[in-house]
Amino acid sequence: MLTYLDTYGSKVQVIAHGTDLINRMQRRQIDSTVLLDLSGLSEFNFVQNDNGIIRIGALTTIHDLVSSSALDSRYDVFRDVAAKFGGPAIVNMATVGGNVCAASSSEDLIPVLLVLNAKVKVRSKQGDRVMRLDEFLKGKRQTALLPNEIMIEIMFEDLGSQSACAFEKIGMRNSLIIAFLNCAIYLTLNKRSKLIDEVRIAFNRTSSKIPARATKTESVLTGKYLSPELVEGAISSLKSELQLTSDFRVSGEYRREVAPVIFRRALVKCAERLGEKSIV
Amino acid sequence: MNGKDHALLVESHERLLDVLRDRLELKGTKEGCSTGDCGICAILMDGKLVNSCLILAIQARNKNITTIEAVGTAENLHPLQRQFINSNACQCGFCTPAMILASKNLLDHNPNPTEEDIKEAIRGILCRCTGYHSIIKAVKAAALESKK
Repeated sequence: MLTYLDTYGSKVQVIAHGTDLINRMQRRQIDSTVLLDLSGLSEFNFVQNDNGIIRIGALTTIHDLVSSSALDSRYDVFRDVAAKFGGPAIVNMATVGGNVCAASSSEDLIPVLLVLNAKVKVRSKQGDRVMRLDEFLKGKRQTALLPNEIMIEIMFEDLGSQSACAFEKIGMRNSLIIAFLNCAIYLTLNKRSKLIDEVRIAFNRTSSKIPARATKTESVLTGKYLSPELVEGAISSLKSELQLTSDFRVSGEYRREVAPVIFRRALVKCAERLGEKSIV
Repeated sequence: MNGKDHALLVESHERLLDVLRDRLELKGTKEGCSTGDCGICAILMDGKLVNSCLILAIQARNKNITTIEAVGTAENLHPLQRQFINSNACQCGFCTPAMILASKNLLDHNPNPTEEDIKEAIRGILCRCTGYHSIIKAVKAAALESKK
């Protein structure tokens, strides 16, 4: 297969389970006339904790991701995503690799993987390459994947006992909907001092047209106690930092209104997951 | 396919939905939005609910597929079919095949579903008559009937 891609890659479109691609084919957004079906490659459907590195095969479906025994309750963030991802029929088919390679603001997993500092492993006949997810995502519907490569794996460091992650999404309905706006947060609290050791925040629908981190707001929070005053400070920082776009789904104005709401919800969820019930 | 093997030569771009309806004449599976938003075309593939509009026919090779045609018969209705009738859970009927397959899949795995379980199982299927209340009632009644 890799030899075939090495020769014909630029004319070939790989397909996993097609939940995104078949829509784009029907809208005539795909030029390739040749489809290479990866859906039967069961060796790329796995979730493992390899000595503190969580490795997820690119062909792992969202259903298999959330039902994996390798991810305990610290990874409820993926259950947050699956609950709002699409109906069961989509959750059963859509793959982690497909969601990432689709590379748009509509992909709910991308903000979560961004705040987990995920890396992407791709493979070609020449060998494997590993790169950071934020470097892999080049822009809307653009990735660093070369025509002769396929994505085989996503990996990130295990959360440990002092870190938590949460995801929030706002859409027209609670189910079966592409997000107006979503937000993922990763939070590490110092075990003794309870100061914020590290925080990462990502939103979709940013001006870069793909999900992106809110690094200025992250630095407002870092090294401080998670208090109501600090959250207010972070929210005013978010308001100036986030460049949220308008589109046919909803206006940028609406997005700016709801961004602090879902930010606060995700932050509270992170704190609760770390057993800090009354902080915010 | 519903317990029978079929050997078909399909086009590379043909969708499973079209093969079901046009080649195998299984018209019970309906076409709704064709974008994966409405869930009307749902079928069971290897025991999982999937949207047949988003699956290439070639990707269904060597899979066990169940469509509404394999659920009950006119003489011997499946408890879900009987309870959908009793609860008036079919209004226009267009979402009914998918609703019954999604509910059957739920009851096969979980014979005692809560209302939340039922809502979760059918949340991917839009009923444009908005008859969800009767559908949930029918699934509850079918679960009770199946236990007897």
